[in-house]
Amino acid sequence: MKNRLPQIFFLLSFISLILLLWAIRQASTPSWKSYQRAFLQLEAQGEPNAAAKAAVLSTPLHIHQVMLTGLQRVDRCTTCHLGVDDPTMKNAPEPFRYHQGLGPHIASKFGCTICHGGQGLATTKGDAHGNVQFWDKPLLAREYIRASCGRCHKEGEVPGVPELTAGRHLFETQGCRGCHKLNGVGGSIGPDLSEEGASRRSPEWLERHFLAPNQVSAGSAMPNYHFSREQARDLTYYMLSLTSEDMGSYYSSVRLIPSAEYGRELFTQKNCIVCHSVGGAGAKAAPDLLGVTQRHSSEWLDEQLVNPQYVYPGSTMPEYDLETNARKALIAYMGTATSDDAQAILSHHTRPVSPGDVSIEAGKEEFARVGCAGCHGRELEGGLPNPNAQGGQVPSLLHISDDYTKDEILAIVRNGRAPPLENAKGPTPPLYMPAWKNVLSEEDIHQVVDFLWSRQQKAKDSW
Amino acid sequence: MKFFTDIWRSIFRGESLSTDKGKSELVFLNVWLHIHPAKVKKEHMRFKHTFYLGFITFFLFVILVTTGIALMCYYRPSTSQAYQDMKDLQFVVFLGPYLRAMHRWAAHGMVVCVFLHMCRVFYTGSYKRPRQFNWVVGVLLLLLTLGLSFTGYLLPWDQLAFWAITVGTNIGSYAPLVGGQLRELLLGGHSVGEGALLRFYVLHVAVLPSIVILLTIVHFWRVRKDGGLSRPIWKLKGRQPEQELVTIGAPAQPALRATAVSTSKTYGLMEVVTGKPIFETIAPDEEDDAVFAHPYAFFREAIALMATVTTIMATSLFFRAPLEELANPAKTPNPAKAPWYFLGLQELVSHSAFIGGVVAPALMVVALLAIPYFDRNPSRRPSDRKWAIGLFTVFVAANIALIIVGTFFRGPGWAFVPPWVHVVTGAE
Repeated sequence: MKNRLPQIFFLLSFISLILLLWAIRQASTPSWKSYQRAFLQLEAQGEPNAAAKAAVLSTPLHIHQVMLTGLQRVDRCTTCHLGVDDPTMKNAPEPFRYHQGLGPHIASKFGCTICHGGQGLATTKGDAHGNVQFWDKPLLAREYIRASCGRCHKEGEVPGVPELTAGRHLFETQGCRGCHKLNGVGGSIGPDLSEEGASRRSPEWLERHFLAPNQVSAGSAMPNYHFSREQARDLTYYMLSLTSEDMGSYYSSVRLIPSAEYGRELFTQKNCIVCHSVGGAGAKAAPDLLGVTQRHSSEWLDEQLVNPQYVYPGSTMPEYDLETNARKALIAYMGTATSDDAQAILSHHTRPVSPGDVSIEAGKEEFARVGCAGCHGRELEGGLPNPNAQGGQVPSLLHISDDYTKDEILAIVRNGRAPPLENAKGPTPPLYMPAWKNVLSEEDIHQVVDFLWSRQQKAKDSW
Repeated sequence: MKFFTDIWRSIFRGESLSTDKGKSELVFLNVWLHIHPAKVKKEHMRFKHTFYLGFITFFLFVILVTTGIALMCYYRPSTSQAYQDMKDLQFVVFLGPYLRAMHRWAAHGMVVCVFLHMCRVFYTGSYKRPRQFNWVVGVLLLLLTLGLSFTGYLLPWDQLAFWAITVGTNIGSYAPLVGGQLRELLLGGHSVGEGALLRFYVLHVAVLPSIVILLTIVHFWRVRKDGGLSRPIWKLKGRQPEQELVTIGAPAQPALRATAVSTSKTYGLMEVVTGKPIFETIAPDEEDDAVFAHPYAFFREAIALMATVTTIMATSLFFRAPLEELANPAKTPNPAKAPWYFLGLQELVSHSAFIGGVVAPALMVVALLAIPYFDRNPSRRPSDRKWAIGLFTVFVAANIALIIVGTFFRGPGWAFVPPWVHVVTGAE
């Protein structure tokens, strides 16, 4: 009780003062300030005289940020990466080096994290680069950064990123949608992939997973498709680009890049060669397209594609309902099209003729698009392992007409089916036939079954 | 010079602190200090009697208000901005992370201290007549503290916040008849969203703190009016149970006689009046046990304050408040857990939603509130209160055990997983 009390009180007050000063010191010496000082030193080196050097060195330090409302993000990366848009910093050490080859993707319009990943709001290296707890999107490794192009350029060819186009093509033709949903379309056996590029999964993980799904995640129902390393890389690129983030109108206007390559693809797809010719190669029902871009302005051509009747009343050219960039791509292709190229397109050209064939062809497309091929095989051969299902694998569809009537098959496609068990006491087989009636229209289902039946005939004929 | 002396004297009107009159006047004339008596019993200031838990709780509340007001300058309660504001606090605002950490740790500390304070009051039997109602006020303050902590939990709008509140409010919806409506009233909708964030913010920064401040005033006032702190139990030896009680202010007690006055002491009017005095007096035979509040009590309280502040500051320097990913209603963490102080409740709910989520907590609160009215045993001596102490200890131990099980022993799907077993969640 003897009066020690004031001493203890003042000691504690002193300690709390020290703690406060410590906190203030910690708060006033953030790491970005040292980066900015180092950058100013670097800039000052290039100044001719002491006064200019001093002026540079006395530049106030502050946080730089790019507000990207369209991309719903704020990037503070340029607080440390101070030279990204300064070509004189081409040979500067990181983090100050100039970012080459950005093209139209300037930092002030796009920021950094949309391509690179990382945490834009953070101002310390660890947090910004995102390899921290509670941050889903760490920096992408150098070789995968180009996958981010697919975040905005969601369709068509992306120049310089063939992996993305190849990955997308694989996804749509291998029948991945049979199990996986993407943007609302697809099965529900595997996980929805619409947010795959936004979830914390490393590219390395994805790639290993495509090569051997079961080794990466035990008990996965996903079969091994024996992809090559390149295919696994392509699919990984595509997966990394998948996000349903809402991009602003400026960014989504380039979801399709109007390249001549894509124009050629459209030209082939839309069968332009059935009416038109290029330099004499092709049909003669419509004008020859060689040099058409010199004869007409691109505005005129665009109008012709939008509304042929308006330009030439009585024209037999159909309206194709193409989006702006698709029209631009077609016009770009017409600028480069040659008769040799048209000949090449013609030589690959096969087209169904009878109405029945059209339905079968549509069924075939549907079969691939919604992903039946993923399990039953593109040639209906089946054979994917499905433990404890009868026969231990997904059934082939080449001989279903022996065992089922067309109505029975229609019912199975509509309502789905659990595979009959090999061993009644064994585990449930991982793969099953989903119900398609909510995904496909009745017409689609009929087309798919028509396609299946057309192959039945063939199988029998071949005997 | 006289000019400044006049100003000084106009503010501090008491005599010099070296005189007894000056020491008394320091207490009487000061709006903040006059909640104290001029003289305090030495035994009341003994650390082992109260552990200063009430004071520490109050000081934590002061820290919370201070840091909370600072944080309000940077926070906008809307789902599109809240999380970004938290990130700004974390990365850009000067001392931002420090402020957040102080607020967080003080909040957790307050929940703990208010509970410990309740335990201390129970074990010393200090809720007995005439302090019954102050116990009730105390229990209400405990509930409000939980409410404040719970509403504050949502504000960062990260995954932790979103799912803790989703789980917490779901527990509330198990109440019969009104449960669903109550939840809707609290959330301003069917799920945790924009409406919930705004309501929780209003509750957290305006409604609940105001009620806490009002009830704290009542709580303090009654401590003073009920005769200061209770007598430490080690002082009870050899006394009759009736004498253990503070007799003043209690009905049907013989009035104190005003004859025992000492000539050297000034008595208030209330104390001379016959009937039922409200103030406790210090009886002449206890004069030696009492000392002036200044400096003995004030310095002790100031030390408690500085110790609390220092502890919170030091903790915040080394342990920052975590911030998880942005709230995502589509991505449920497994297991989704309520705030830690509700994990005991969640554990009960996992066994039975109705019994664990409604009946048990309701009974708990009612039982706590009713303790002083059911416990008719006048004695405060632990040897006379074996049953009460036993029961309360079981209650405290059960609560702590349930919280520990819920926090450390529950994994994905609320399955029993000891903390030393590592479970990979969300494995493909």
